[in-house]
Amino acid sequence: MRVERLWPPLVAFVVMVGLWEGIVALFSIEAFLLPAPSAIWTSFTQNSATIWAYGMRTLTEALGGLVGGTVLGVLVAAAVARWTTLRLGAMPFAAAVNAMPIVATAPIFNQLFGSTNPVSKMAVVALMVFFPVMANTARGLNEIDDSELELMRAMAASPFSVLRRLRIPSALPYFFSAMKVAVPLSLIGAIVAEYFGGPQNVLGQYITNRAQLFQFPDAWAAILVSAIMGITLYLLVLVVERVLMPWHVSTRTSDG
Amino acid sequence: MDFIVDMQGLSKTFAGRSSTVHALQDISLQIEPGEFVSLIGPSGCGKSTLLRLIGDLLPPSGGGLSVNGKEAHQARIDGDYGIAFQKATLLEWRTVRRNIELPLELAGVPEAERRSRANDLLQMVGLTEFSDHHPWQLSGGMQQRVAIARALGQRPPLLLMDEPFGALDEMTRESMQNELMGIWRETGTTVVFVTHSIPEAVFLSTRVIVMSARPGRITHQIAIDLPQPRDLAVRESPRFFELLTDVREALRGRTGTR
Repeated sequence: MRVERLWPPLVAFVVMVGLWEGIVALFSIEAFLLPAPSAIWTSFTQNSATIWAYGMRTLTEALGGLVGGTVLGVLVAAAVARWTTLRLGAMPFAAAVNAMPIVATAPIFNQLFGSTNPVSKMAVVALMVFFPVMANTARGLNEIDDSELELMRAMAASPFSVLRRLRIPSALPYFFSAMKVAVPLSLIGAIVAEYFGGPQNVLGQYITNRAQLFQFPDAWAAILVSAIMGITLYLLVLVVERVLMPWHVSTRTSDG
Repeated sequence: MDFIVDMQGLSKTFAGRSSTVHALQDISLQIEPGEFVSLIGPSGCGKSTLLRLIGDLLPPSGGGLSVNGKEAHQARIDGDYGIAFQKATLLEWRTVRRNIELPLELAGVPEAERRSRANDLLQMVGLTEFSDHHPWQLSGGMQQRVAIARALGQRPPLLLMDEPFGALDEMTRESMQNELMGIWRETGTTVVFVTHSIPEAVFLSTRVIVMSARPGRITHQIAIDLPQPRDLAVRESPRFFELLTDVREALRGRTGTR
């Protein structure tokens, strides 16, 4: 990315934080209503060892669920793309499951796996991530141009060749747009699941506890950690996308 | 008399919701090796369907069909034809070279041989310096040249083309026609070419097959006796314009040409 394109968001960020700080100071807004960025920063630096250690546990849950849900989603997508009957039968059902607020199942998974077991949080995350990955990947595997299929047939390509040389590369862009949705979902899932109970040394519990004690700068500092982790994961997806599909529109550069 | 394509009373019907559509009826056509045959007709005359029957991309509903002396299915499996569509249908994640190598790869040709064959083909279509480009970096005409090079990969005795220049502008189209003429002479491959452009059919072909719609059938066959090689002089000759008129009249359903 060009340096000129980095300036506008950077300036906007500085102006926003400055305004926030200024308004809090000017109107002497109480810290329990809205803490100043400087107060959040102080808490962030002072408690950094604790909140990063907690953050890593939450991240482990999110990643565990993300990987599990993604693997499952891709496998089901492959099956559903292969067998039309399965697709017709399963897709409405899957859409219905997706429409329900999956985090609501967290207490159930806490009981099932034991609330201190990270698997209880991973299960919630996996369930949340599963649908967008499955639906998008299935669409990518299926939405192949008729002429491309004709071409493969004309060249007497085996079904496996069609999968490897046509369907999978065609599905990659769909898969990556699903991952861009799934990554933030995985952190949301893990933190919200933590609200429903479990070990104390995780971000969700830390946020709840500090908020109950009116230590809002601490709570915000923990939220900042989760935001940093979310952004990092998202950027990681972008990097992998660029490496795996340098040809694609989304990664094309104007001078390419 | 060994025909590369031999159709005897070929028909194709599509079952609709309430009625069956007779896309092709009683098509008998024999094509000799080395011919350049164009199929021309109004939309709905089944010319593209006919091409797909030859390529075993669609099954016929009745009649006999042999391609390169075999059943159409076997000819497809054996890689006896190459095909190019109106859309270049290049795989966007592959470079020009890897797109051209695709049919060779599918046929299990060893890598070294694939590379040298691709080099020859790149040179033939004048795209050597673009071998590492991706399709989106090429113009429409260049993409279509890649598609033609790909179709020629296995040196097929038969080349099937479905309006390959239909989406190109007139200037590009004419230069592509000249290029295709060169490739046809150089390779000696038989071409079956679907088009709805009368000048294109007349300029390229040794024989023009005129079809009519509902049901799709052959109404006229016009031998194109223009001299080879075909060049600008041929395009501007009186005989060229006479033949244009012949094909146009045939398309209008008038008899009396040959």
